[in-house]
Amino acid sequence: MTTQPITTSKQLGFSLSEKQLPLLLLLPGILIMVFVIGFPMLYSLYLSFTNFSLTSPTHQFIGLQNYAKLLFHDSLFWAALGRTVLFMTLAVNVELLVGLAIAQLMANAARGQGFLRTIMMMPMMFAPILVGFQFKWFFNAQIGLVNNILYTITGQPHFIPWLIQKPLGFITILLAEIWMGTPFMAIILEAGILSLPAEPFEAAEVDGASGWQKFQMLTLPMLMPFIYTAMAIRSLDLARAYDVVSIMTGGGPANRTELIWTYVNRLAFGEHQFAAGAAMSYLTVILSFAFTWYLFRNLLQARWGGGRG
Amino acid sequence: MAAKISPFKSYRRTVRTSRLAQNIILWAIVLFWFLPVFWIILTSVRIRNEIDAMPPVWIPSGFSFDSYKIIFGMPTPEGAFGLGGSIPVINYARNSLVIAFYSATFAIAIGTMAGFAFSRFAFRGKNNLFLGFMLVRAIPGIALSLPLFVLFARLGLSDTIAGMVITYIALNVPFTTWLMDGFFRSIPEELEDAACIDGCSQWSAFVCVVLPLTLPGIAATTIFAFLTCWNEFALASVITRTPASRTFPPALFEFTGQFVSDWRGMTAMSVLMLIPAVIFVALVQRQLMEGLTSGAIKG
Amino acid sequence: MSGEKKISRREFLKVTGLAGGAIVASSALAACGATPTPTVEATKPAEVKPTTAPAVIGKPFAGKTLRMHAITGANYDELYKLIPAWEEKTGAKVEFVFKGNGFETDKRLVQDFSAGTVDYDVCWDHSSFFSQYVKLDGLEPLENYWSEDELKDFIPRLVDATRRDGHLWVIPRHFDISCLHYRTDLGITKPPETWDEFKQMAIDITKNNPGVFGTQFAGKEEAISGRFYEILTAEGGNLFNDKWEPTFNESPGVKVATMLAELYAAGAMPPDMTNFLWEDVAKQWVSGTIGMYTEWYGWYSYFQDPASSKVAGKFDLARQPMGNGKIHSGWAGHHGFSITKASKEKDMAADLIKWLTSPEGNELEAKLGFLVSRQSVWDKLIAEAATATDPLAKKRLELALLQAQEDFKTPPLIAEWLPMSNILYPILQKIILGDVDPQKGLDDAAQRVYDMMKQAGYYA
Repeated sequence: MTTQPITTSKQLGFSLSEKQLPLLLLLPGILIMVFVIGFPMLYSLYLSFTNFSLTSPTHQFIGLQNYAKLLFHDSLFWAALGRTVLFMTLAVNVELLVGLAIAQLMANAARGQGFLRTIMMMPMMFAPILVGFQFKWFFNAQIGLVNNILYTITGQPHFIPWLIQKPLGFITILLAEIWMGTPFMAIILEAGILSLPAEPFEAAEVDGASGWQKFQMLTLPMLMPFIYTAMAIRSLDLARAYDVVSIMTGGGPANRTELIWTYVNRLAFGEHQFAAGAAMSYLTVILSFAFTWYLFRNLLQARWGGGRG
Repeated sequence: MAAKISPFKSYRRTVRTSRLAQNIILWAIVLFWFLPVFWIILTSVRIRNEIDAMPPVWIPSGFSFDSYKIIFGMPTPEGAFGLGGSIPVINYARNSLVIAFYSATFAIAIGTMAGFAFSRFAFRGKNNLFLGFMLVRAIPGIALSLPLFVLFARLGLSDTIAGMVITYIALNVPFTTWLMDGFFRSIPEELEDAACIDGCSQWSAFVCVVLPLTLPGIAATTIFAFLTCWNEFALASVITRTPASRTFPPALFEFTGQFVSDWRGMTAMSVLMLIPAVIFVALVQRQLMEGLTSGAIKG
Repeated sequence: MSGEKKISRREFLKVTGLAGGAIVASSALAACGATPTPTVEATKPAEVKPTTAPAVIGKPFAGKTLRMHAITGANYDELYKLIPAWEEKTGAKVEFVFKGNGFETDKRLVQDFSAGTVDYDVCWDHSSFFSQYVKLDGLEPLENYWSEDELKDFIPRLVDATRRDGHLWVIPRHFDISCLHYRTDLGITKPPETWDEFKQMAIDITKNNPGVFGTQFAGKEEAISGRFYEILTAEGGNLFNDKWEPTFNESPGVKVATMLAELYAAGAMPPDMTNFLWEDVAKQWVSGTIGMYTEWYGWYSYFQDPASSKVAGKFDLARQPMGNGKIHSGWAGHHGFSITKASKEKDMAADLIKWLTSPEGNELEAKLGFLVSRQSVWDKLIAEAATATDPLAKKRLELALLQAQEDFKTPPLIAEWLPMSNILYPILQKIILGDVDPQKGLDDAAQRVYDMMKQAGYYA
């Protein structure tokens, strides 16, 4: 890196040192995030220490009571948290496996890549609430696509209540999310595969390696950074999952598909306990932060650890 | 001689059949993935009675665009049960497009600046600041909705396109920054230095040399930013209130009641919302792949 | 070189400092300018059409816009067809700020009243929900806008249902009460008179008619809480005692919850009923898969329309069963309109509400099957029904009137009814689905409700 100050063009008329330009460039981003995210979150933090409720004209400071109640007296919170973590883990892993398969197949495909790609990306293009409505309809017990298919295949009407029964409800929301999220993984991984250098593969072919061996020994290891990145982003998105589940089941029935954010929504807006909802938001966000920090710390090592000056 | 040729031929045949098998599997998977989308599009043009029919009717006996007519407030032979009043679809479309356009543009501009800063410079607290940007992505719209609502109400930004644009910019900046940082890092600095030696100032080196190379990257970023704005629901439903600023997702949600009686309406709305996104992506998808393969996302 | 740099840097800092200061100053001003108490602009620059040049003589509200926050779905929108005529008469324009189903509408109203972001004049209201809005001081007392004469024609029990603290808060548009709908072609000879009979009959119907469920309930949100409440009162129970302590986990409540759980376990209800809301149960009924259930009167025209209903002409109506308390169930409420305190066009708002709740408006809604709020319209309807071709029409109206006079019961008129029902319904779902034993579930719910009431200040 040169040590001379960066001279901006004559039009701008001033020059800045290396120290200042980056901060200036970052300023708009920082400002807008502080404004839109920072202030509301601070306000939310303040509210979480009160007993604010939407139908109460006044509120008082009550310290850590909301947090204590959540952590120690609310089994539903822990159930929802556990379920969210399980949801996230399963979804990311399935999306990774399927996405990887699709990515490899697409990278190998001779023709029609553009068309396939556009089609493959369609699930991503729907608004999540739309996906929620669609899958709610598909899994409808009376007129849903899935039960209709079963009816036609078996000749008997089956009114399986997909959205209600114990494991089925969870499975359906999982399926909806996976359907929606796999294209993202597939696209990123395909890009990764396409960007790998060709020489090792050619050498392997000369050596007589089979497709599977090439995949295992060459593609996979070289793809790890991409895989890691894609999983990181997707995990974060899944941790925030709300739209799809909220429409499909609303976290119900009987809290069977309750994820953290559907619970927050009901607590804050349904039971009018906005402060408790804010406390729960904060706990979850802190957990997400910890998770993000862990993930991205490794990412940053890979990115910048090699030392730019 | 003959012995040498046949193993080679059979090897080629194996490769060819395995390629064929792979292609078949690929097309099968993709079409299977597409099945729900296909079913949605099909249902939106079916006759109402056939949709709920029991036993299910698979081959449509005819088509009807009634569900679209109803959405646009045009008269139909059957009144749609429950869908009273016309829906200001034009307003919603305009708002969604305008907001998505401005938010994406500004988010990319800010992301480009920030990405440039992260990729080309070293400064104190860089890692932490970058981490800070990423942490923002961990916050869902629902956690923000009420406090943001109160803040915007006080500032008079509630139910305004400006308020929505500002919000979406903030939501998109982390991702655009991250992507652009990656793209910039994939362009060797030597190019800029070379341009400087040739007499350009750093600034014009950036504009004339680096930026054009990152265009595919910008295209990729645009797709994601646009889609995020186009499809966002939680914040839009809180900030927008009237057709003055309302976008499609909350407008869609307003008709929850009808969708239970008439799923066609939901499918028609889905298709309507999908069309601009598909057009946009189809146009840009080549740049998207170019951009992503330039090594930007290696992490 | 260095000198140049120094000056430039200083200049740069000056510029940024000024810019930053300007931003901070302007946002501070903006924040101060927007007062915490609700401020309203009755006209929004983006949407209001410029006043048509010469205002037509005689149009009282020419060029103004009235903003409305309304309910939609089901048949509710029919009434809004009267609006163009009002606009024509007054020269004003009506703008719908929001349209959603009842729960969504209520959620947004609560948010707005709480945050002071009310920018509409007329809002939908309901006897179960208005107490919250009153508590948040969001509504305008209406007795100043309606004379006693104007109120005389409304059914007294309806109007009184929204009198509180000495004020009138809601003008009723139509009321809802549920009666028992039962199929006449499935072998039901006479409708059940008690809830015990009801349960047994439902199970029998399911057994004798493959493909048909004996009964159903809307299984989520306030719907299931309300149904629970109504059967609870029939069994002689109460949600709260005099001291506002929850008592629904005592034996009448447990009896009701157990009945629901047993019906579900016996397969006498559609397995996905816990996802049903009002439109869903109606849809189930018209698809012919239900034997009998309690339903609001307002769906009648839909049920009797052969184009959309498979059960048209194949069902009869009866009063709801009674329970151990020797009371017939009758969860009731009414929809209506209120004026927001933040409105700057209260007279115009009152004018629109009077138009919509006029005898004309009532008659329009009555045609769809709604139970309207004006006595004069009732008299007219009953007279007409005597000569109607539909044999059920007259019986229906008389039954409705009887119920309105004797069985009409609203849930407790407190702001906490809604949050309480939101605590209750997931637990009721758990009980129905068999995830938890009825007594335990209700005890758990009672504890949570107690905590909430305590926080709301009910136990001094």
